[in-house]
Amino acid sequence: MSKRTVRTLGLAAAALLLTACGSSGQIGDSGSTSTAKKMVLIPGVAAEPFYISMECGFREAAKSAGYEVDVQAPAKFDAPLQTPIVTGVLANKPAAVLIAPTDDKALAGPMKQLKDAGIKVVEVDTKLQDTSIASATISSNNEQGGEKAAETLAKLVGDKPGSVLVLNTKAGTSTTDARAKGFETAIKKYPNLKYLGQQYTDNEPDQAASKVTATLSANPDLIGVFATNLNTGEGAATGLRNAGKTGAVNLVGFDASPKQVQDLQAGVVQALIAQDPATIGKLGVERAVAAIEGKEVKRDTETDLVAITKADASANEKYFYKQAC
Amino acid sequence: MTPQRKSLAKRLVGTNTLWIALVLLLLIAVFGALRPDAVLTVFTLQTTLVETSVLLVLAVGMTFVIITSGIDLSVGSVLVFSGVTSAMTMNSLNGGDATNAGWGVVVVGLLVALASGAAWGLLNGLLIAKAKIPPLIVTLGSFGAALGAGQLISNGSNVSGVPNVLSNNLGTGTTFGVPNLVILAAVVTALGALLLGTTRFGRHTYAIGSNEEAARRVGIGVTRHLMAVYLLAGVLAGLAGFMAMAYFRVASVTGHDTDNLNAIAGVVLGGTSLFGGAGSIVGTIFGVFIPAVLRKGFVIVGVNVYWQPIAVAIVLVAAVWFDQSRRKARDRS
Repeated sequence: MSKRTVRTLGLAAAALLLTACGSSGQIGDSGSTSTAKKMVLIPGVAAEPFYISMECGFREAAKSAGYEVDVQAPAKFDAPLQTPIVTGVLANKPAAVLIAPTDDKALAGPMKQLKDAGIKVVEVDTKLQDTSIASATISSNNEQGGEKAAETLAKLVGDKPGSVLVLNTKAGTSTTDARAKGFETAIKKYPNLKYLGQQYTDNEPDQAASKVTATLSANPDLIGVFATNLNTGEGAATGLRNAGKTGAVNLVGFDASPKQVQDLQAGVVQALIAQDPATIGKLGVERAVAAIEGKEVKRDTETDLVAITKADASANEKYFYKQAC
Repeated sequence: MTPQRKSLAKRLVGTNTLWIALVLLLLIAVFGALRPDAVLTVFTLQTTLVETSVLLVLAVGMTFVIITSGIDLSVGSVLVFSGVTSAMTMNSLNGGDATNAGWGVVVVGLLVALASGAAWGLLNGLLIAKAKIPPLIVTLGSFGAALGAGQLISNGSNVSGVPNVLSNNLGTGTTFGVPNLVILAAVVTALGALLLGTTRFGRHTYAIGSNEEAARRVGIGVTRHLMAVYLLAGVLAGLAGFMAMAYFRVASVTGHDTDNLNAIAGVVLGGTSLFGGAGSIVGTIFGVFIPAVLRKGFVIVGVNVYWQPIAVAIVLVAAVWFDQSRRKARDRS
């Protein structure tokens, strides 16, 4: 019997003893700490190129650090679907969990259970409002992404005057709000561009299409659109196509999934602001390892974003998101 | 449904659709007065029509369902499922990417979309009419299941590779200036209106919605008819999925979460009773366009973004309240 097994058995016995004593507690409490050399990634949603790319970075880094890995994703970006996964992972007692919480409050309870069970928690991509639970947070600097979008748009437009529009998802979505805010700040530097403000689309492509064509009716001088995520970008491209304005109105999208890269190369989208999910996954592992080994952990890290246009697409291939590792 | 013959003018005023049509015209007039240069243009007309086509096709099926005093919450998910199966079939027929596929492949894709929609419609119909489970529960189930199934087979991501011949012709093409997508939606709507207004199928639909037991006793095959109605709603949702795919050039697995509610809202706005037995396709057309015109108009005249959903909600509720109080007044007289 290895030392580890003995220790695990001892802990299990202690846990049983605690239960037998009838000590009061919460569901998920067990009093034991984790020992297995195992790490789990819980992305926000399954099968999305952004999270798949993050998973690739995670797997690679965790394996080279000598950890066994597992990835458990909810079918939708939805707190009620992610919560049972968190509690399920808890039962396996990994040493660390990397998670993209799908709600900044609803996931606080389940994630605190992880922490209370001695599992190190690292937030990747999204984060909780309560900063006392995770050991570290790695996320994209979304505001910087918005600024990059404004700068790229200004570069594409040149000296021409015109109006620009931001398509946001739902009011109160922290990531896309930060992107819109960054864009708004940076676009002021260009006096030839008139900022029309943002429109919310409920994250529905058909609403994004309709808001783009409505804006075109009201402002025929529309020269640029910044779509803050995949769905708004898809809708904006459809709206511009219907209006016969593809290419005439510069469309800047966010993220770089295969379909978006295809659209960039086909000239439907003029620029993409790509995050660096693989690095987020890799840094997440590094922070988790530091926390497990009791070393000092850098609490907050923001990874850089990169603007990709058709002209420099081939040089930035490493930023394209992957459908599989 | 009035027993005596009244004059044409009186009958027109008595119909629900006239009033809701006036609301729509009023909205257009108000927006038109505020920004005549931007609202009253061919461009705005074209884009508004195109953007409402998919929803209109869903709403035609929904009208039949609601007239039978049923409900179908699954249409948006069936739309997603049909789009995904259709796009994936077309892709697999073309070695993984159907972007340059020909008409033959597109026809197969259409058939797959219709069959996918029909399968879910039939399942809904069987569970509602044969197993007698309430439609709200059955279609709430298929709302989740169809979306889940769509995500399962697409592995949760949007399916691209929609044939160019499809998206260039049906998606963005026009005939004599009228977008082809609008023509298709108009044909479907006209056929739906004829089916509901002039055929025995339509009369039976009203009869079942008025009183299911009475309909059964006079010898209408209620079980069979209800199955046919849900099958129709499913097939139309499948067609809508095919249209949405042509329009967006991708079969989306997200972004159709509220299609069902939008379709129901359009149908109810159009004067169809949620309790069944009354309603019309013509009303549904106006009902579907009111929210579309509102959303578009608010952006054009520059209403604050946070006010937009509130204003849409107020107009929707006010229009239905107006319609109902007018109907009550008519019933009393």
